[in-house]
Amino acid sequence: MRLRVIACEVLFREISHAAALSPHQIDVEFLEKGLHDYGGAAMRKELQFRVDSADPVKYDAVVMGYALCGNGLHGLRASRLPLVAPRAHDCIALLMGGRERYEEYFNSNPGTYFSSTGWLERGQSLVPLARVRTGIDVTLQSLIDKYGEDNGTYLFAELNKYQASYHHFVYIETGLEADKHFEIEAKTSADKRGWEYSKLDGDLRLIRMLLNGEWDPKDFLVVQPGQRIVARYDADVIHAERGEEAP
Amino acid sequence: MSAMEQLYTAVLEGDAKSSALLTAQALEAGADPMSLITGAMVPAMDEAGRRFEAEDYFVPELLLAARAMKASMVLIRPLLVASGAKSLGRVAVGTVKGDLHDIGKNLVASMLEGGGFDVIDLGADVPPEKFIEAVKDKGAQVVCLSALLTVTMPAMKTTIEALKAAGVRDNIKILVGGAPVTAQYATEIGADGFGENANSAVALTRRMLVEQVADAQLLSEGK
Repeated sequence: MRLRVIACEVLFREISHAAALSPHQIDVEFLEKGLHDYGGAAMRKELQFRVDSADPVKYDAVVMGYALCGNGLHGLRASRLPLVAPRAHDCIALLMGGRERYEEYFNSNPGTYFSSTGWLERGQSLVPLARVRTGIDVTLQSLIDKYGEDNGTYLFAELNKYQASYHHFVYIETGLEADKHFEIEAKTSADKRGWEYSKLDGDLRLIRMLLNGEWDPKDFLVVQPGQRIVARYDADVIHAERGEEAP
Repeated sequence: MSAMEQLYTAVLEGDAKSSALLTAQALEAGADPMSLITGAMVPAMDEAGRRFEAEDYFVPELLLAARAMKASMVLIRPLLVASGAKSLGRVAVGTVKGDLHDIGKNLVASMLEGGGFDVIDLGADVPPEKFIEAVKDKGAQVVCLSALLTVTMPAMKTTIEALKAAGVRDNIKILVGGAPVTAQYATEIGADGFGENANSAVALTRRMLVEQVADAQLLSEGK
């Protein structure tokens, strides 16, 4: 098969690795990670444009290197080619090898902040947009410069309060790291915040199956032209539905 | 500029010190506490919300307007309580179990407070029992549920089911919101309304309370 993969840059190492080992001919287009910060509808619009651009003469299917990602895939339409997406809530589930393991870990470890090589090395790309819209990740000094001493200090406290609810930093190691520098960075990050640190072994099974064309319906949704992806928030995460118009 | 206009501007521009000072001066000059809310707080927060929707304001500006409004409310609220004035309604607000994100929820709570509601902020990662308690023991008439992750959205459904099981569902209105939440999901899980953003929560809550009165009337008339 010839596959057009549209993927988030946060999975750059994992997708590239799976592409190299896939029996199929693969073209990958990576999109910037900040996309999901625009909100579900705007992210879907951008993804739809990329899906629609895939040439049906050149490819057999469009494969999404994305999870549901805050509803970014909700309403995404298969235009001229079948469209494949993994059944997962976000990239952490993809890196952990499945939504069951992720959900179990998520529910039994409240207050966990997840990270990976992609988040560590590409995390900054999301910041400019988040800065403007939410003020998150902005330094105290720049808030003071913009809003004055009193309001700037207040905003910094308000915008960083949520961090008090986190107490556990989890770094997912996939085995594709060149050296230990990500692990060291993750550990340092946890120590700096005074959080407990754990390293979890990633599982690239889902990403491998995605690029190998092994689309078991249990883990993947294949949407035919004329259908769209809809989020259902049940065990299957996403379903196919007929219809041209976005919901 | 009249005192009321000055107060309106101080809230809208997030100037908490001026807002508190102007409120103190107005109250001393004999202003009716309720009129400060309806004449300055509500329109200022409405305008802040409108600017947010038009992308002239972002989260920091909304937070600052809410802060200025609260600085004024601290002075006004005790007078309202003393005079026995009733709030527009009591609303419980919280982020559902498993979800720690609270910035959106805090904004909703502030907007509602600025809109004249009595707000019970339950915080983040709130188990269903806390929402039930807010209705049963604290008299919340409207419950607002927030979630920022698709993985925690099902907790909205289980919270609504728990409110049903506790026998209090029919007495209240339930609103849901948060970045990934959709109107369709709100309908599916049996919520009464869905807010696209913090600003819409105020108008929606007003509507819910009107509906609630109408429901109660129908019920008492046996229809």
